[in-house]
Amino acid sequence: MTRDARRGAVAAALLVVAVLSTNATAQWQGYPTPGIPRKADGTFDASAPVPRAADGKPDLSGIWMAPRIRVDLSQGMKRGDAVPFTAEGKRIFDERRATNSKDDPGARCLPTGIPVRATLQTPFKLLQTPGVTAILYESRTQFRQILTDGRPLPKEVDWPAWQGFSVGRWDGETFVVETMGFNGKVWLDQVGTPASDALKITERFQRRDYGHMDLEMIIEDRKMYSRPWSTFAELLFQPDTELLEYICEENERDSARMVGK
Amino acid sequence: MRQHTRHVLIAICCSVGIVAQMPLGAHHSFAAEFDSTKVVTLNGVVTKVEWTNPHTYFHVDVTDDQGKVVNWAVEGGAPNALYRAGWKPTSLKVGDRVTIVASRAKDGSNLANATSFSLPDGRCLFAGSSGPNGDATTNCRQGGR
Repeated sequence: MTRDARRGAVAAALLVVAVLSTNATAQWQGYPTPGIPRKADGTFDASAPVPRAADGKPDLSGIWMAPRIRVDLSQGMKRGDAVPFTAEGKRIFDERRATNSKDDPGARCLPTGIPVRATLQTPFKLLQTPGVTAILYESRTQFRQILTDGRPLPKEVDWPAWQGFSVGRWDGETFVVETMGFNGKVWLDQVGTPASDALKITERFQRRDYGHMDLEMIIEDRKMYSRPWSTFAELLFQPDTELLEYICEENERDSARMVGK
Repeated sequence: MRQHTRHVLIAICCSVGIVAQMPLGAHHSFAAEFDSTKVVTLNGVVTKVEWTNPHTYFHVDVTDDQGKVVNWAVEGGAPNALYRAGWKPTSLKVGDRVTIVASRAKDGSNLANATSFSLPDGRCLFAGSSGPNGDATTNCRQGGR
C-alpha cells in the first residue's frame, strides 16, 4: 500500500466512524458533507483552494456563518470610520437607542436587515446556479434571490419591499450583489441603524479559500447618510451541518414585554 | 469533595462547549426586555417545557425562603442554537431538578433570560442567551457557582 493509499484508507475509515457515530435522530447535524476537501484525518480542509463553477468563476455555494455574533453594523467598519448619519438618520437612530430597540420589526418576526443577517451567527446557505443565486437563511426561514441572468436593476420600483430586488454580477473574482427597492420599514441591524426607501445595498463576496469568505457591504441612502459607507464581515464555511427549521411566529412573546429602558 | 467533582464536571462540559462553534441568532434586543445586572439563581423543578421559536421557555417551580412556591418562566435560546450546542427537545423534562442562572425581566414579572442550566448530574447546558451575561465561554461556569 502506498502512503497516499494508506492515508486515503485512514480518511475513509474515519469518515465511516463519523457516519456511524452520528445519532440517528440527528441526521442533519454531524453528517459529513459530501464532496468537500478533507485532511488526512478526515476533518474539513478550510485552506483548500476556492472551488470553481462550470463557468470558471468561484463557486460560493455552501453553508456560511460569521464566527461571532454582531448586531451593530458600525462594529464592522474600518478603524477610524464612523456611520455618516444625516440629521434625520441620527434622530431616528438616537430614538431607537434611547428605547433599547424595543420597536425593532425583527423582534416581531418581520424581516431583519440584509446586512445584519450576515453576522447574526446563524447559518445561511448560498446556492449558486446559472441565472440565479439563492440565499437561504436559517434565521426566520427567510430566502433571497439574486438574479444573475443579465437583467439590470429596475429603473423604477412600483412595489417597495422588505428585502428589495437583487441582481448579481462578477467583478473579477468578486461576486457583486446590488439591491434596491426597499420599503423603508426595515432596520439595517438590531441597534437600529436606519434605512429609508432610498436605500441601496451593494454586497461584495470574495471567497479567499474553501473555508473563508470576505464580505463587504456598502450602504447608500441619501436620506439617512451623507455618503456611502462600508461594513465588513468574515464568513466561515460550515461543514457537516445542515440548515434547521426556525419558524419565528410560533411563540413570539417578547415584543409585548419590551419596556425599552 | 462531591461539590468539587461537580465543579470539575462542569469545567469539562464547558471546555467542550468552547470548542464547538455555537450559533446564537439573537431575535430581539436583550436590553429592551431584560436587565443583565439583575442576575437571579433559580433552583427548582421543571413544570413545563416549550421547545419553540423564537425562544424556548422552561417553566420552573422555585421554593423561596418562606417555603412559598413560585413558578418562573425562563427564556432560553432558539431551538436551533440549543440543538447545535448538544441539546435535544428532551434534555430538560418536566420533573427534572435544575439550577438556572438568569437575568430578570425589566417588567418585574417572574420571567428571566437564562445564562446557564446546571443539572444535578453535573451536566451544564449552554443557554443560547444573546445578553451580556450569555457568553458561551463563561455561562456554564457561572452556572456551576
